[in-house]
Amino acid sequence: MIDILQNVGYGFQVAIQPLNLMYCFVGVLIGTLVGVLPGLGPAAAIALLLPTTFKVTPVSATIMLAGIYYGAMYGGSTTSILVNIPGEAASVVTCLDGYQMALKGRAGPALGIAAFGSFIAGTFAVIALTFVGPFLSNIALAFGPPEYFSLMIVGITVLTYLSSGSMIKALIMAGVGLILSGAGMDTISGKYRFTFNIQSLLDGVGVVPVAMGLFGISEVLLNLETEIKRDILAARVKNLFPTLKDWAVSIGSIIRGSILGFFLGILPGGGAVIASFASYAIEKKISKHPEEFGKGAIQGVAGPESANNAGAGSSFIPLLTLGIPANPVMAILLGALMIHGLQPGPLLMKSAPDLFWGTIVSMYIGNGMLLVLNLPLIPIWVKVLKIPYYLLYPLILLFCMIGAYSLENSVAHITMMLIFGILGFLMKKFGYEGAPMILALVLGQKLETSFRRSLIMSQGDFSIFVTRPISLGFLITAALLLIVPIITQRKKLSALKEG
Amino acid sequence: MNKADRGSGLFWFIFSVFISYESHKLGLGTLHQPGPGFLFFWIGIVTAILSLIVIAMSLRKRSPEDAREPAFGRRNVTKIVLVLISLFLYALFMEQVGFLIVTLLLFIFLLGVIEKKGWRFAVLLSLAVTALSYTVFEVALQSQLPKGLLEFLRF
Repeated sequence: MIDILQNVGYGFQVAIQPLNLMYCFVGVLIGTLVGVLPGLGPAAAIALLLPTTFKVTPVSATIMLAGIYYGAMYGGSTTSILVNIPGEAASVVTCLDGYQMALKGRAGPALGIAAFGSFIAGTFAVIALTFVGPFLSNIALAFGPPEYFSLMIVGITVLTYLSSGSMIKALIMAGVGLILSGAGMDTISGKYRFTFNIQSLLDGVGVVPVAMGLFGISEVLLNLETEIKRDILAARVKNLFPTLKDWAVSIGSIIRGSILGFFLGILPGGGAVIASFASYAIEKKISKHPEEFGKGAIQGVAGPESANNAGAGSSFIPLLTLGIPANPVMAILLGALMIHGLQPGPLLMKSAPDLFWGTIVSMYIGNGMLLVLNLPLIPIWVKVLKIPYYLLYPLILLFCMIGAYSLENSVAHITMMLIFGILGFLMKKFGYEGAPMILALVLGQKLETSFRRSLIMSQGDFSIFVTRPISLGFLITAALLLIVPIITQRKKLSALKEG
Repeated sequence: MNKADRGSGLFWFIFSVFISYESHKLGLGTLHQPGPGFLFFWIGIVTAILSLIVIAMSLRKRSPEDAREPAFGRRNVTKIVLVLISLFLYALFMEQVGFLIVTLLLFIFLLGVIEKKGWRFAVLLSLAVTALSYTVFEVALQSQLPKGLLEFLRF
């Protein structure tokens, strides 16, 4: 306990250095902006801003990139409520009741409860992260290659299980991601694989250009096809502070959302998006007036908005303690840490305590900044929303181009990004999701290394994966996730939304 | 499941078989000492089986969804293709011609030709965006964007 307090104190020393405070502020500000802008999610934003952090220390860089993620959770609610367009995926459900509240002239309390709920949940998640992090780190120290292998399999399976489309397609995407991760030099034998004499494949397929392509470029292409229509609420937003009655109704939802979001966030493959859907479903189920949902029930805003923030906070846990990203955003963050020369995992807390504790404490500060930043700035965000798309998409494209080029000052990354942009566009057309591919691409190398090390350890005996209890537990979980949908009809996210 | 699934399933099937074949060439090694192709050979096979399932399901079920809108709206395909071509050209000429010129041209093309916003507006805005992005990324963030033809200016 005293240990942890000491560490938090140390984290504060790191986080309140003026430079880090500034990066935290810039991060949450950009995050909110990204959350507000439809067509640019936190994954693409972190990917394309990563090169701008090369000149700063890894601690400042992580603080800023983390800020973008949880900042986006705040910003996303604004567009959902005012325009009925989710700024990013985790705010999709907020549209259902948030926009209805706005239509009834209650945009203010909706935005207010979303911001306060987010703040409470975000802070709860960070406090829990402070205590759970070191505990998990210690457990993870006992993990050998077989445990890591099985854990990564679970992570990939959970993500495919929770994907909104066909699970078989999601599994194909995970397979393709793994294959892509194999391109380049094999770290064990030193042989080159799948490079086909293409110079730019020698270093492998980079996570960042792929993510920019799949989440940035392809999104622009999709929007070009459909032309976004927007009706921005003209009315002035007033009474941001929810009334006592609003509080009385929503406090339970906020607490439930925080706890639910926290646990769904830790789960590999989980995260903010799933948390928000699950929270909405639960709030509707336990409500005495379920018929009010979809017509402007404040619990339908408070619950999911709290859950997505708690989920965003807790999804840092598997990344910082196990080195395993829980979702695509964390996958890109893992890539970022590795570019900065850090190896996330159980040793991170010992080898880079300034990064570990500095980042965590910066999230306390960032959550505070967001609360202050969000409510007074809402009129500005509404103005941002009025930027016409014909201006917005060339800018998004330009940022992607500059971002991809600056990774290594090479045009090859731009080409790769564009190719994956086209692929991502086609994938969405044909109902394939990008998230399992990114996660598998990031985990691929580690997965293969731990797989081969395990087999070398056991001298070719595959039973090593099932004779070690922790590994067996993980594999059983993965198997259940694969078998259950065959037996029962899998509940899809889209079904959750309706039900 | 529809026609689109058959096409995409076939694509991934061919891709997976190709990967398995390539992995086989790399060497599978032995169980005691798995080689560089081992894991990917098996991943390729599993992915191939999964894509066969996608194809099979599209053949078996003919849901009314089949009649749904075609995968591509004709109207904007030209727009998407033109935008993509301009982006590839941007990448192709970025290093020789330099960031400032290609960015200016890209924006004039996107705003003036694709979005038809009027030449004066397009040129003025493109100049502004180019100058601003140069200031942010090159001057402030020191991204080392290629100077290209304007190298001689030594700015």
